[in-house]
Amino acid sequence: MASQILPLELIDRCIGSKIWVIMKSEREFTGTLLGFDDYVNIVLEDVTEFETTPQGVKKTALAQTLLNGSNIAMLVPGSNGPEDS
Amino acid sequence: MDESPRPPSDQSPPPPPPAQSHTGSPTDFLKGVVGKRVIVRLTSGVDYKGVLSCLDGFMNIALEQTEEHVNGVITNRYGDSFIRGNNVLYISAAEEI
Repeated sequence: MASQILPLELIDRCIGSKIWVIMKSEREFTGTLLGFDDYVNIVLEDVTEFETTPQGVKKTALAQTLLNGSNIAMLVPGSNGPEDS
Repeated sequence: MDESPRPPSDQSPPPPPPAQSHTGSPTDFLKGVVGKRVIVRLTSGVDYKGVLSCLDGFMNIALEQTEEHVNGVITNRYGDSFIRGNNVLYISAAEEI
């Protein structure tokens, strides 16, 4: 069998590069991944928050940020976020 | 005649490992940010800006000089406040760490 890679190994390999974080709600974050823990709490740098509201997408720039893992739904490695795809 | 002092390499302890300036894990981030100004956003979208006095593994947070911001407008000020961790969406550094 080919060598397996665990899901969190994939995220570990992304440390230092851009990542796109999609929350359970209408909220997304992009930034440079600095680290994470077993709960997938995530530390990002040079962050942009995208909040989708009926009025449109609200963007917020943030410095170093610790994202609570309990609201995270999906991680997309190497992406600049919703405006990239 | 070999009177010159020995190089100290035998006695001196090995140099300490290079200081881990940044591993970047959540724990390291929190260590760096205690005592600094932070922005705490709750899942409801309300922001609390203040000086982070302490926190724990549940992301329960104690803030000082707290300002409550709703839609970018200050709605309240508290000297000290406690935020229960389950409500926290993120903690963001508002000054250099």
